[in-house]
Amino acid sequence: MVGLSVGEKNFIKGGIAQDLRNDGRKRLTYRPIYVETGVIPQANGSARVKLGETDVIASVKAELGKPRVSHPDQGKVYIYVECSPTAEPSFERRGGDELSTELSIALERSLLGGKSGAGAGINPASLLIKEGKVCWDLYVDCLVISSDGNLLDALGAAIKAALSNTGIPRVQVREAASSDEQADVDVSDEEFLQFDTSGVPVIVTLTKVGRHYIVDATSEEESLMSSAVSISVNRHGMICGLTKRGGAGLDPSVILDMISVAKHVSEQLLNKLDSEIEAAERANEEEP
Amino acid sequence: MALKISPICRLFVLLLGNGFSTAGVGIKFLYTLLSPDSNIWDYTWGHGTLDMGRNVIATVCGVVERVNKLVYVRSLRARYKPEIGDIIVGRVIEVAPKRWRLEINFSQDAVLMLSSMNLPDGIQRRRTAIDELNMRTIFVENDVICAEVRGFQNDGSLHLQARSQKYGKLENGKLLKIPPYLVKRRKQHFHHLDQYGVDLIFGCNGFIWVGEHVDVKDATVEDQVNKSDPQNTDSAILQGSSEEPTSTSLEIRQYICRIANAITVFAALGFMVNLEAVTETVTLSLSLNLGVHEMLEAEFHVQVAEQEVERRSKSTRRK
Repeated sequence: MVGLSVGEKNFIKGGIAQDLRNDGRKRLTYRPIYVETGVIPQANGSARVKLGETDVIASVKAELGKPRVSHPDQGKVYIYVECSPTAEPSFERRGGDELSTELSIALERSLLGGKSGAGAGINPASLLIKEGKVCWDLYVDCLVISSDGNLLDALGAAIKAALSNTGIPRVQVREAASSDEQADVDVSDEEFLQFDTSGVPVIVTLTKVGRHYIVDATSEEESLMSSAVSISVNRHGMICGLTKRGGAGLDPSVILDMISVAKHVSEQLLNKLDSEIEAAERANEEEP
Repeated sequence: MALKISPICRLFVLLLGNGFSTAGVGIKFLYTLLSPDSNIWDYTWGHGTLDMGRNVIATVCGVVERVNKLVYVRSLRARYKPEIGDIIVGRVIEVAPKRWRLEINFSQDAVLMLSSMNLPDGIQRRRTAIDELNMRTIFVENDVICAEVRGFQNDGSLHLQARSQKYGKLENGKLLKIPPYLVKRRKQHFHHLDQYGVDLIFGCNGFIWVGEHVDVKDATVEDQVNKSDPQNTDSAILQGSSEEPTSTSLEIRQYICRIANAITVFAALGFMVNLEAVTETVTLSLSLNLGVHEMLEAEFHVQVAEQEVERRSKSTRRK
């Protein structure tokens, strides 16, 4: 990340205060979103999302596994983010590890809810095959190819698109002789069930610069931030997760205000994202 | 058009002029029209070509250029190639003893010596140790500076000078980075757009500065203003306010953003960037009533390309 001179920083801050950012956007306008699905054919589902210069790929792989003893009626979902060294020079070798862990945890918190699985955006109960015996394990892997700010929003959108592209194979459970043995399952190669993504939330990050919040900050604007709050909201306007980054403290009233702004912005984002995902899926089908 | 290919001239060079590139990847053959009795040995093969006995082929993907008998291939994504007298815009990355190091999209960092820079009080005198200690009051890390190429040293490093009033620190604006080959060397690189109140500096290294207009004042006055600014802005930031003493008005800011977006569109399309083209694009966007950030969308790119096609056909018709 190249540094910015004092003059440039003041220019950017002044722009945000006057509701005209460096590239001409308003404070609450997103950059153009570009979605492509099915980019990784070997995975059960995948998607690539470009948010301006930020470029991320998410892939979903489903494997058979055993449910946790504490939650025998649920499947498992693992989210893992990797920041590729091509995104930033600072990500070379182990440089991107810290950011990767932070993003993974933030995504898990936003999309999976608490330890008991309550209030999750992705419903683990839908991944169950046979209670206590077999369930689906979803491994969601994300790769950051190019980073120009607002990675969390882009990753959230990519995961949502990848999940709507995911096809879980249909399984037939053959009854085992004794209940202790592993149940045999017939995994169908032909039939796939589309994953239900109407409940999957979208993440909106609000970055506070000076006295104003902006949505979808570029890496220049992020270098000026005092704090950032990422809120995941689903279609019904329910909040599924909340993450705060940055060193500056925030007044509780500010956080409540940010939440209401995020809810308002998330509606437009959800609609835009859904239409983009649909267009991408249609483009996939049209291809031979 | 039929190509007359004689057995001797197996070399083929496609001369298309600037701005058009030879499509293709890696090593390719270059095709041309040569008269039947011209010999390939008449030409001197420059950079980016390889004489393979029977043929001469290009080793880089790019535009074929020809100067009298010299034929060479200029690659598209080259680094900046400095020449003496070029106006460049750079960013300070280090404050070293008696000099500043700047990043200018060249293979090495450029050096601006303390002696090549006007002193704040404007007097011409020998630089003392106190001047060296006060270098930070002039330029600090990450500052954006406009300067001129003074020359090369023996080890190939670049030396700059900023003795005139028009060179120096740039504030209140935006720095854009575009490929260096899109900026042609002209007589004028500093442009002041009166109707917008905006300063536009085309650095030959591909760094373009778009900012609020600053009158070329006396060095003394300007530096006093600069010295008081950092203190004011620092305290203002601490109070959490985003107002600073030299706040840019919304109208000028809109024009700055429009011009910056126009230049970004040009860079994305690979067109040469010059003042007339940029102002025409800005008036086009204003006439279409486009929001400033809508200039970066696909439809506007198409319209800018059409406008460029018109301009080129007009200029060829005139010829």
